[in-house]
Amino acid sequence: MPDDLEATVDKFIFKVAKDRYYTNEGVWAKPEGTRVRIGLSDFLQQRSGDVAFAEVKPAGTSVRFGDEIALIETIKVNVSLTSPVQGVVDEVNPAMSTAPEVVNRDPYGAGWLAGIEATDWEADRLRLLDAEAYFSLMKGQAEEEAKKS
Amino acid sequence: MRGDRRVVIVPCSGIGKSYGTVSREAAYAVTQDLRPADSQLVPLALLVLGDEAARAAVAANPAVTIDGCKLACATKMVKESGGTVAQEVAVLDVYRRHKQFKPQGIAELNEGGQRLAHAVAEEISAKVDELREQSGGTADA
Repeated sequence: MPDDLEATVDKFIFKVAKDRYYTNEGVWAKPEGTRVRIGLSDFLQQRSGDVAFAEVKPAGTSVRFGDEIALIETIKVNVSLTSPVQGVVDEVNPAMSTAPEVVNRDPYGAGWLAGIEATDWEADRLRLLDAEAYFSLMKGQAEEEAKKS
Repeated sequence: MRGDRRVVIVPCSGIGKSYGTVSREAAYAVTQDLRPADSQLVPLALLVLGDEAARAAVAANPAVTIDGCKLACATKMVKESGGTVAQEVAVLDVYRRHKQFKPQGIAELNEGGQRLAHAVAEEISAKVDELREQSGGTADA
């Protein structure tokens, strides 16, 4: 079984990792025990463009579901990303300050943004999309964008 | 540079994007103001069209490419035209080193974009000097 769902829209290929959950905006959340790792979906990083800077809330910051967790500046836009979980940031990917382009190269792996110690993951999970649901949503969004261009 | 050899500067031709404009402004600054005797501008469009004079210029001289995005069209086109890329400059990489110079505007860059273009041009001028020294050539006044 492949680890990703894959959609080809126009000339672009978008992947959705199957082992995590997603917000409608394309922020992923991957549970690792009581901790949840977060990052950008492949579609969100491709749509946003090459990342110039990534500012993530520092370790120790308390966040609620939907609070801003990071601000990404790309060559096209500034993107405010909201937290897919409630909890306390316990780790920020050090690459975000030294080589944020890793978000574009490996959005589901080395390009993760932060780790959050979740206070109620089960409740948060119910508010998120599983990979199949996000894949369907993302494909629709990508097709809409393709029509505009 | 020795004899007629001059470093070829090939900027991005991306239209409608600030980073493309920064690359072209930087190329003008190097070839017209900073190192006019040691560098020459070759438009990417001429390489795409297969223009003989442009292809001959990149084949005979070291090239510095300036790319506005990761597609790196300038670098790819120089290589496909038989040229040697002495240095690939990505505007985004330079911006990461100069976060205060946020480029905005397309036809007309904001002040941040102009200063970023100048920073890119300074880096390229240093490379032109290095290539000139390697070839034992003369300097721009």
